Amino acid sequence: MTKPLVAEFSDPDSLIGAALRLKREGHQLLDTFTPFRLPELDDILPLKPPRIRLSMLLGGLAMAGFAYFLQWYSSVIDYPLNVGGRPLNSWPVFLLVPFEVGMLAAALSGLAAFLWTCRLPRLYHPVFDTTDFARASQDRFFLLAAQTAEEERRASLRELLKQAGALAVREQGS
Amino acid sequence: MKPGLSGAKPDDISGFSRRDALRIFATQMAALALAGCSKPAEEIVPYVQMPEGLVPGEPLRFATAVPMSGYGLGVMGISVDGHPIKVEGNPRHPASLGATDVFAEAAVLSLYDPDRSRTPTMKGSIASWDAFLAALLLQLGKHDRNGGKGLRLLTGRVTSPTLLRQIDGLLARYPQAMWHVHEPIDDSLERDGTILAFGQALHVLPHLDKAEVMLCLDADPLGPGPSQIANARHWVEGRNPKSPSGFSRCYVAESRQTLTGIKADHRLALHPAGISEIAIAVANILGAGMPQPKLAPAAERFAKAAAQDLIARKGRALVLAGRTQRAEIHALAHWINAKLDAPVDFIAPFDRSSAHEPSAFAALADDLHAGRVETLVILDCNVGYDAPADLQIAAALDKVPFSVHLGLYADETAGICQWHLPQSHPFENWSDLRAADGTAAIVQPLIQPLYGTRSAHDLLTTLAGQDAASAYDLVRETWRSSAGASFEDWWRQTLHDGVVPGTAPRSVAAGTPRRPEVTSTKAQGDLTLVLSPDPSTWDGRFANNPWLQECPRPVSKEVWGNALSISSEDAKRLNLKTGDVARLSVKDRVVQTPVLVTAGCVPGVINLTLGYGRRNAGAIGTSIGTDAYGLRTSDALWTIDGVTIAATADRREILTTQNHVRLDGDARDLYPIRSLKDIAEAVEPDVTDRALPTFYPPVTPETYAWGMVIDTAACIGCNACVVACQAENNVSVVGPEEIARGRDMHWLRVDIYDHGAPADPKAGFQPVPCMQCENAPCEPVCPVAASVHDSEGLNAQVYNRCVGTRFCEANCPYKVRRFNFFGYADGQEYANLGADTLKAQRNPEVSTRQRGVMEKCTYCVQRISGARRTAKKEDRSIADGEVVTACQSACPTRAITFGDLNNPNSAAKNLKSDPRNYALLGHLDTRPRTTYLADLRNPNGALKEEHS
Amino acid sequence: MSVIASAPANPAHPWIAAEHANYSEVTALIADPVLLRPAGWRWWVALGVSGLFVLATVVAIYVLFTEGIGVWGVNSTVVWGYAIASYVWWIAIGSGGTLISAMLLITRQRWRASVNRFAETMTVFAVSISGLFPILHLGRPQYFYWLAPYPNTMLLWPQWRSALVWDFWAIVSYLLFSVLFLYIGLLPDLATMRDRATTVPRQVIYGALALGWRGSAHHWRCYETFQITLAALAVPLVVSVHSIVGLDFAASLMPGWQETIFPPYFVVGALFSGFASVAILTALVRWGLRLEAVITVHHFNAMAKILLLASIVMTCSYATEWFMAWYAGAAADRSLLLFLFTGSYAPLYWMQLFFNCLLPQALWFPSVRRNVLFVVVIAMGINIGMWLERILIIWNTLSHGYAVSMWRLFYPTLWDWMLLFGPIGLFVFFFLCFVRLVPAVPMNELRKLCREEHVA
Repeated sequence: MTKPLVAEFSDPDSLIGAALRLKREGHQLLDTFTPFRLPELDDILPLKPPRIRLSMLLGGLAMAGFAYFLQWYSSVIDYPLNVGGRPLNSWPVFLLVPFEVGMLAAALSGLAAFLWTCRLPRLYHPVFDTTDFARASQDRFFLLAAQTAEEERRASLRELLKQAGALAVREQGS
Repeated sequence: MKPGLSGAKPDDISGFSRRDALRIFATQMAALALAGCSKPAEEIVPYVQMPEGLVPGEPLRFATAVPMSGYGLGVMGISVDGHPIKVEGNPRHPASLGATDVFAEAAVLSLYDPDRSRTPTMKGSIASWDAFLAALLLQLGKHDRNGGKGLRLLTGRVTSPTLLRQIDGLLARYPQAMWHVHEPIDDSLERDGTILAFGQALHVLPHLDKAEVMLCLDADPLGPGPSQIANARHWVEGRNPKSPSGFSRCYVAESRQTLTGIKADHRLALHPAGISEIAIAVANILGAGMPQPKLAPAAERFAKAAAQDLIARKGRALVLAGRTQRAEIHALAHWINAKLDAPVDFIAPFDRSSAHEPSAFAALADDLHAGRVETLVILDCNVGYDAPADLQIAAALDKVPFSVHLGLYADETAGICQWHLPQSHPFENWSDLRAADGTAAIVQPLIQPLYGTRSAHDLLTTLAGQDAASAYDLVRETWRSSAGASFEDWWRQTLHDGVVPGTAPRSVAAGTPRRPEVTSTKAQGDLTLVLSPDPSTWDGRFANNPWLQECPRPVSKEVWGNALSISSEDAKRLNLKTGDVARLSVKDRVVQTPVLVTAGCVPGVINLTLGYGRRNAGAIGTSIGTDAYGLRTSDALWTIDGVTIAATADRREILTTQNHVRLDGDARDLYPIRSLKDIAEAVEPDVTDRALPTFYPPVTPETYAWGMVIDTAACIGCNACVVACQAENNVSVVGPEEIARGRDMHWLRVDIYDHGAPADPKAGFQPVPCMQCENAPCEPVCPVAASVHDSEGLNAQVYNRCVGTRFCEANCPYKVRRFNFFGYADGQEYANLGADTLKAQRNPEVSTRQRGVMEKCTYCVQRISGARRTAKKEDRSIADGEVVTACQSACPTRAITFGDLNNPNSAAKNLKSDPRNYALLGHLDTRPRTTYLADLRNPNGALKEEHS
Repeated sequence: MSVIASAPANPAHPWIAAEHANYSEVTALIADPVLLRPAGWRWWVALGVSGLFVLATVVAIYVLFTEGIGVWGVNSTVVWGYAIASYVWWIAIGSGGTLISAMLLITRQRWRASVNRFAETMTVFAVSISGLFPILHLGRPQYFYWLAPYPNTMLLWPQWRSALVWDFWAIVSYLLFSVLFLYIGLLPDLATMRDRATTVPRQVIYGALALGWRGSAHHWRCYETFQITLAALAVPLVVSVHSIVGLDFAASLMPGWQETIFPPYFVVGALFSGFASVAILTALVRWGLRLEAVITVHHFNAMAKILLLASIVMTCSYATEWFMAWYAGAAADRSLLLFLFTGSYAPLYWMQLFFNCLLPQALWFPSVRRNVLFVVVIAMGINIGMWLERILIIWNTLSHGYAVSMWRLFYPTLWDWMLLFGPIGLFVFFFLCFVRLVPAVPMNELRKLCREEHVA
């Protein structure tokens, strides 16, 4: 199996340009690595929208529901007490704690979903071995494209990336 | 023999035979067995035969009596497992009528006072009783030869028949000996008055219950003192709006703010001389025909109205003269009373024996100075502190070759006597006492003497050289004659009742009083100092009692001190502010005292209480406040003219627990005062607790619904409830420093509210315990459910659950919760209050509270559960009146009613429908279970405009 | 480097001072102070001074725990004091941080980039400190955990109707949420630090914390979604948290506390003091880390405008209080109102009004808004005023409640003061460590900003 190609660019626009051309020429664009978010890439790369928000909603609601149940059970069923003549199930004030913990639970389940969809934490990844890749988190813009078996396609891909303004084109990990 | 297993090495264990093993086991077993039957060195007594009637942990009640400056107050001593923990009133005793006062409530604490003297001392160094007896016998040997010449006995007021009998015995043995009495707060002026009027010394017994109109000329029948309880009860009986006999009216002309003055329907603040003039004016209206004094218009109107009222109710009208009044005025009062044929009885004085009557203290002082005194025996009397300043008693005592002091404390007097002997507490020995009305009661001990102490009876036995009879035998001997056929039955019955039958006073025919020649005198000097007994320390003897020290003064609410009360006019004139320290001087005598600008003071009259500035009272009472005795002379005991006052540079904070609140406008809802006429005419009562609409579900207790009603018209602000609550519920004393930081622990406070002006206060008292709200604001704010309701409607505080957020107190509109900012009962006690002896006083039914815990009134829940247990055993429900809270049982005027509101016939339930019933801050809809009856006054229409 | 550091503000792109700043430069600008530049004596002195405050705090807490609550000035009537006031003050500052960062994120404010990081950090520290006070003020702090539902032998539960239980959950939730929010914002920068770190320990630690972030397009997309959603949650959360703090007082029946306006008015108060604190910190960080390039006067201008608005809203809230007290006509409320303006604490109340209502009006003038010093001075005034507001809410109501006979004043003790100022040093101490460990300004957002502002 042949390793994918890693192309290094100095600015976002040339990266985006390269990505668009690759797509047009039918090359398989695997991924890009940039020091900040580039929304334009969303349409170019084959990405499915993340499901983070749904899981946050569910997590939050579940926790809030549990919290209310706990209050209701403890003060109506398990240990009913006359507290200042208030009704045992004082629902208006019982809504406050569920809201707070619901929010927290939403955030935490969001974190879980985020890590899951990004497949993080993953401290090692082959692309890290690529020369100069450390700058992907600073000031350089990297593009990862798959290489096919036949020779001329590979050559054209390298050629294309060079033309698109890549400072360097390497095989991943080299 | 082989070594035991202990000596065996691991390697040679293998070498053991079965026999060895068995033998070793045997020896070990034997050793164990021996250890098992070894006994401790001391003798231990198994609790095989339980003493009759003693159930461990069950409180027992013993009828006894506690002395109050010589007079006896019949009480029930409650003791658990053999140690007294509480004092309650004895309903059979005429001076108690089932109630108590602060001094009786506090007596139990003084029993355990760690500062009590425990051993005889000779010139301050510890000695033994034997050493003392040896020395005494030597001394008495002399007197045996000279017939007691130079032998003097000094006591306080003595009403104990047994003690009087012993004194007779002593004087019989030493004819030349003399007996002197010194009582700092006595009724000598009153006696002189009867001598002037009737030619003989008589003991005056006014009947307030029979008086429909009462005129007090600086008299304070409701104030602290031996007759306070009886007077208050009788007074309130005459002021029941429902009773057919009518509602009495009270006129008070006074030179300082007294409890009687606060409860009066008409109060006139006057200089003592002015009060005398009122007396003269009233007498003139009754036809005395004395030179009419010049009266101020207000005084004129007051005197006229009072006189007319008195005459209108001839036979049911009463005039009382107070301590500040001269003997002539007392005599004049008797003359007026005779004219009105007032409900007053006269009885032969009983603080003397038939054979001997005590000589004056002043005489003793002269003899001391003249060196005519060989031997001086002082029985329970602190002349070193409370003698009039002009007698120079300390210097005089130096001249006595042999002086002995018997007392509860090694106090100032002990310091100036050669010998000090520790005296037994009244709860520790047998005796007998007469009440202020002459009724006798047996004092029976509740506990063995805690230390090697003796009673006055023991000492007198020794003095009189009688064969050592125990106090028990002496007392029985005293009464044997008055008993009927079988003495033992009589004795048992008497002890049980706490009153000696047939000793009730027999009034003597005093005859018609002579009208004294009274001339109205003007006070010389621009300032007159009026002295008065202190509501907390009386004459100083209670100074070391922390409960009393921290018990707020009824009016000023001051604690831990006695400031000089001064009118705002004088304060302005002398440019003094509350807290400024002033120099009071009369001739060469000077004292320094902080001043307290007080409402209802008379311009030109300043007031200071006795009983403070103790130099050697103990850890609690020493060097607190001002020693007013420093200004007191034997010729001016109560009013001192020509006092000069000067401001000094320094200030002292006046420690108070509450504010004296002046109300106007809507705020008067806090303490409504209604007049008898309004009540009669009222169609719709304006103050009732109306149920406001609510979202909350109705909570109807299926069991009991405890509730309380407090009649503010009956409350005289005497604080008995406050101290009773403290004793019952182990409420801590926090000490002056904490009070200064605004912290206190009383579960029950008596607020004073004033509808009048500073010059003319119209005040009333409102005891404020926890209201036990049904919609308690303190409960929903507690995060840990430490403050919750129980099924019977109590607002319970779960001490061991409390984490101390203090949110409950923050949200309590009545501010009745108290927080343990420090471990007041938990390792951080004030002064010596952590001493072990004091722990014996704690009520075992009530847990003491930790540091950081909120506490509060619980309606004496321990008493409720006690009653519930009894009821359960007898398989019945708790009857009305079966649960009596501590405050309720103490109250002299029965102002507090407690009971089950689910019981339609309970007294509390009935009072709730009284038109005067109102809920404090009812508009907050906290639905308090404790409600109040509005104060009720009976003003004279003729004088009304002054007070509107 | 030096070129852009000293460059003046540019109206064309107000949020970046430099004429031309490329990605590596801004990255270096933020990362180097942490990774390369030594702390410098200023930092060490500051750390030492704040260390003394930390020591004072520890001593005060030791005395408090051994002697008891009695060492404070609290009394039978005014049972609450500095602890509760400081609690509200700190959590308000805390609320400010996240609220600001989140609101600016949602409203896509570009200038957020420079301030949000230490705003969020401020929140985390402030909330942690505020969380101390409710525990310290307990009579028996060793049992604070009784507020949480946990299986126990007595089968007891917390009393859910108590505002203090709401507080407990509000603080816990809000603290954890803020930590998460801060960490998520930090994630890409941690990767940068990992890649720039020169020593192995740092590479390992930053590497571990970066979770292997690669900045792939997919990461970035999820990242943005998550961060925006968190921000969207943060706003209602903060509002609820401070509403609950307001309910601590409003859910009572004391005069001056039982007011429906309290929750919103506490939220605005939080925003007010929060922004004031951010302004102060911004100035300090800008000066300490020489970030004039990315933190410009325009930032202060923007914050000043918000302060001005908040100040006006606060003034309206106060006015509403006064009006309602008079209009409702309850005797207790009216008498309390009189006490506010004429009572024992009136001077402090007037001071509060000066700092919170009057002084910020100076921000109407652009020249004042653009003067860093003025903005900082006014912000400090606001923080003092807001603390006064909190202590006066407690003092006035408690010392002048329904029970007239129990009216009393509060006199602070040494230990009150130590626990008032000590934690401020604690906060500074934390913050000084923070700026030496993580980038004080989000580098990825700066790069983004450079692109958007067309300076790169």
